[in-house]
Amino acid sequence: MDAGSIERIIALVGAIVVGTAALWSLKLEWPKTGLDDNVAKIMLGLLALGCCIVILVATRVLHGIA
Amino acid sequence: MASHAVTLNDAQYEEQRDHRLLGFLFFLISDCIIFSSFIFTYLYLRSAAPVWPPPGVTPADLYMAGVNSIVLFGSGATMHFAMESFKHDKHLRFYWWMMATILLGSMFLGGQAIEYTNLIHENTLWTTSIYGSSFFSLTGLHGFHVFIGVCFLVVVLNQTLSGTYTKTRYFGLTAASLYWHFVDVIWVALFSILYVWR
Repeated sequence: MDAGSIERIIALVGAIVVGTAALWSLKLEWPKTGLDDNVAKIMLGLLALGCCIVILVATRVLHGIA
Repeated sequence: MASHAVTLNDAQYEEQRDHRLLGFLFFLISDCIIFSSFIFTYLYLRSAAPVWPPPGVTPADLYMAGVNSIVLFGSGATMHFAMESFKHDKHLRFYWWMMATILLGSMFLGGQAIEYTNLIHENTLWTTSIYGSSFFSLTGLHGFHVFIGVCFLVVVLNQTLSGTYTKTRYFGLTAASLYWHFVDVIWVALFSILYVWR
């Protein structure tokens, strides 16, 4: 197995774990109403979006500029 | 002149905390504008080039950047868990989550150093092409923010261990958490634009 494949697998597994954690935290954060809580909700949502992008890259749906 | 310790009651603290929070959010917005100006410069240079990346230039490794991204996103999650642990008075857990965040942030910087080394070996330098200069400018600016963020986290962890923050008064921790999330979210944009978008 070449280095690229190992990196892809690590990225995929990591993205699933971190994305799930981000979405779970977002669900728990959702009822809170403070200003910092609302900012945290936006940040966690964008974090989950970042994990989705990494999953698409690791599964070769997105190929990158190379 | 005698010095007086200023002790705020809860109502005064809440008001001051809201002002500080708003000020910190304005700081993050101003930082966002700095990143936006760099990103739009990159997009302009990219749209002006007939081929991207320019011929003869080796672009950065996508999958290595993917692993590095997950390291940074993971640190965002651990930072969130650290804050929740602190709010629920679980100080030991807070300590370990903060240590994990600092470690992951440092790993991201290490990964970026390896990426820079690989690019330099491929002769993709700051000075050799417009791709190199815009890539190193954007990722360097972000890496600098990550470095400042790691220092910020070390300082607030030290302050927490010395008892500066209590369960009801912890603005420094909130600021560190927001800054770290900001650095994470900026990387979502940079990863998409620099590595993924064809």
